[in-house]
Amino acid sequence: MALVKPLGDLPFVRANPALRAFVIGAWLGWQIESNWARPLLFAIYAVARPLASALLLVIMYSVITNGATQEPLFAFIFIGNALYIVVSSVVSGISWAVIDDREHYRVMKQLHTAPMSYYSYLIGRGVARVGIGLTSFVITMLVGVVFFQLPIALNTINWGLLILASIVGIIAMQGIGVILGAITMQLASNLWFLGEGTIAALYLFAGAIFPLDVLPEALQPFGMFYPVTYWIELSRRALLGANAPTFHAMGAIPSETLLLILTGMALFMAIASYIVYRLSLHRAKEMGRLDMETSF
Amino acid sequence: MDSAPAIKTENLGRIYKIRGPKKKGDQKELIALKDVTLEVPRGQLFGLLGPNGAGKTTLIKILCTLLLPTSGTAFVDGLNVATQSQDVRRQISMVSGGETSGFGLLTVEENLWMFARFYGLDNAVAKRRIAEMLEILGISDRARAKISDLSTGLRQKMNFVRGFLTDPNVVFLDEPTLGLDVTAARDVRTFVKQWMQDHPDRTLLLTTHYMAEADELCDRLAIIDKGQVLKDDTPTNLKHGLQQNAIFNLKVQPIGKKPQDNGRIEDVPGVQTVAVRDHAEFSEINLTLQDENVLPAVLTHLGGRGSSLIALEKHEPTLEDVFINLVGRRLDQDTHGQENGASE
Amino acid sequence: MSAMRSAERVHKAVGASLFWRAMWARAYPRLIGTQREMGWLLSETILPLLGTCGFVFVYKATGAPQEFIGFAVMGGVATAFWLNILWSMASQLYWDKDGGNLELYIISPAPLMSILLGMAIGGFVMAAVRGFSILIIASLLFQVGYQVSNLPLMLLIFFFTMAGLYGLGMMMASVYLAAGREAWHLSNALQEPIYLTSGMYFPVKALGAAVATIASALPLTLGLDGIRQLIFTTQTDIGFLAPEIELLLLIGLTVIFLSAARYSLRKLEEIGRREGRLIERRK
Repeated sequence: MALVKPLGDLPFVRANPALRAFVIGAWLGWQIESNWARPLLFAIYAVARPLASALLLVIMYSVITNGATQEPLFAFIFIGNALYIVVSSVVSGISWAVIDDREHYRVMKQLHTAPMSYYSYLIGRGVARVGIGLTSFVITMLVGVVFFQLPIALNTINWGLLILASIVGIIAMQGIGVILGAITMQLASNLWFLGEGTIAALYLFAGAIFPLDVLPEALQPFGMFYPVTYWIELSRRALLGANAPTFHAMGAIPSETLLLILTGMALFMAIASYIVYRLSLHRAKEMGRLDMETSF
Repeated sequence: MDSAPAIKTENLGRIYKIRGPKKKGDQKELIALKDVTLEVPRGQLFGLLGPNGAGKTTLIKILCTLLLPTSGTAFVDGLNVATQSQDVRRQISMVSGGETSGFGLLTVEENLWMFARFYGLDNAVAKRRIAEMLEILGISDRARAKISDLSTGLRQKMNFVRGFLTDPNVVFLDEPTLGLDVTAARDVRTFVKQWMQDHPDRTLLLTTHYMAEADELCDRLAIIDKGQVLKDDTPTNLKHGLQQNAIFNLKVQPIGKKPQDNGRIEDVPGVQTVAVRDHAEFSEINLTLQDENVLPAVLTHLGGRGSSLIALEKHEPTLEDVFINLVGRRLDQDTHGQENGASE
Repeated sequence: MSAMRSAERVHKAVGASLFWRAMWARAYPRLIGTQREMGWLLSETILPLLGTCGFVFVYKATGAPQEFIGFAVMGGVATAFWLNILWSMASQLYWDKDGGNLELYIISPAPLMSILLGMAIGGFVMAAVRGFSILIIASLLFQVGYQVSNLPLMLLIFFFTMAGLYGLGMMMASVYLAAGREAWHLSNALQEPIYLTSGMYFPVKALGAAVATIASALPLTLGLDGIRQLIFTTQTDIGFLAPEIELLLLIGLTVIFLSAARYSLRKLEEIGRREGRLIERRK
């Protein structure tokens, strides 16, 4: 991320307001989180929290199955949970950035009156969160492989699928994040939970820590409309290869089809995010909510 | 206890340890107060006049028991603020400018009630006094409004009610009109004057960097700069000290900041103090001269620097002049910065 | 502007009476806030409820017995209290400082302990509303049945779990204030790791005796373990310690945390006044 700031000095970046805002957002996001780069905070955010939530699931699983971690369900739960860390980081991070800028740092006025695109800036903030989420993901997976013998090896991972699915998946996540961020522009800080709440609600429909089949039948289709469900399924397949569990509702759909659906959803989210952002910005300006402070 | 002065400080000092951005090695010291000795008798409205960063707020925080001095002693209502803090707190209250205290989801009267109870007021008494004081400050129609919906001026009026509601012996007002519009500031000043009139046995310490406010309100004033009290007297006496001098405000074509070959204005015989503020089109000079006969020499000096006179005004001494005379710069120049101008 | 009418001296309570008045005055914004700010209510109910649903489905996926669904529901209730401790108790003095209230608490004659107790009472009511909402909604959703074997003991365990927990929250409030802006991170650090070590979603016994013993320093661990033993009929012995022993330990923890809160508050004020930390504001 230290490379991001010099990027901002490149002539073509300086000439393009949207690109400039994106680079500033990414740089600023990292600066804010780079408290985080200190050892103690790194230990909290990148290690302790994600590992504790992973271990919580490990113990719940082990209590019931007497520690049968070699079963496909274990890998399913462990990997799904680790992948969802990235989702939470990006999506809730963007909506949180709106509240942070407005209420904590109180720079919303300055950001909106500067000659730059706040939309691109928000995406930049999201990119900083991708970095953070991926770090936690890697650490959690390392623990899974070393201590719980997850059947993953570097040479069996389908890297092509993993990278492609992740790029498309992250675009979709950024889209969801900006939509939530845009809606947050309208809300008082006591509704900060919108980002986290939505992401927690969608957790249930992403097939992350339990197969969608476990949900009541009426709720299962929700998962099929959530891009993250496809990203998690594809990444799980790429990581586990032949060991990927097939009992999942999506098990029968080929990876190519899943990738295609994910791409379509990502595109939709990207467009939708821009439209929702524009509408929400207009409304926030109309209602004078752009720089409101609502501390309680 | 009643015979003791309302406020007394002896050689009061406060040093802050400033933490550097990284590790402990970066620690620096900032002298916020140095050997401040003051005595404020009961019934007085005492002002502390000084620029931002002069040490006014630090002094108030010590007197309000929020901060311990690093040297010297301070007494409020005859009680030592360091060792008898709990007793001091029963006698005082504080209102600061730009204060954002309270809970946004509570109404004005609920917030005030809460603070009244922190001072042990009976329910009925608290409610009666709240209604009464809201009325006096002209905001009783907002009693049921959530404080998050109040404008800055209304909020500050509410803070005033909070400060006086609990019937304190000594009230500390720290830049109370900061950020208020003219009308709200006037209302607040009227309230303060009225309260002092109605409660002749109470004491009020006010810090401000608005000279007119200090001049209008205070029975006595201390001029403070860089943590030190430079002079302490009634506004009239402070100004009287300059009466034998001639005080001029000059508007001249811009003069460079750097002293030219023909020296500085201060070097002209008979010039006592000079404060210059540069604007884009002109420079503004506050001059204290031994007598008016010195003026031609000053104008000749300025002419020599290529700066001719645009306008000239002679006036009676103000607290601003007193300040310039004591400190050597204008009041609107911060202690730690020279943002708004410079003296030669 | 009319003249001031009340120039008479006002009677002000001191001692226990002042303590009582200040305590309820500080509890008031929280009690009233429960009704006025539905946003908070929703956030602190929905988030733990969703988490609970996730854990319930994990148990369902692994084919766990029905009582484990109940354990997860109890975990959701405990989470509401724990989140309240972290975000509305421990961090509160820090936020009060940021908003300008702390210095007004300090210069008032009210003991800081009364302010903290008021916060705790208000916080408990806030969290109880959320906790019981979660309990009722999740129990109905997942058809969890309860069989209370010893009601008085269960109520005592609940009472002392809460007393100990809020005592801990009061103590943490001073620690957080001393930690300054790092406080935010501390609260984050104490979420998932505490869910794990206190056995919120599974019997703490599963962590092994050593970890469970250390985790027992947290009143929630013992409280949850005790209450689970008293309201669920299980085929296996899920308890870490006997509920009676857990009650005694909880009483001990309550005394320890309340005393520690009092001590740390005094220390905080002393250090804060010396170093100027009670008045500095940093972002």
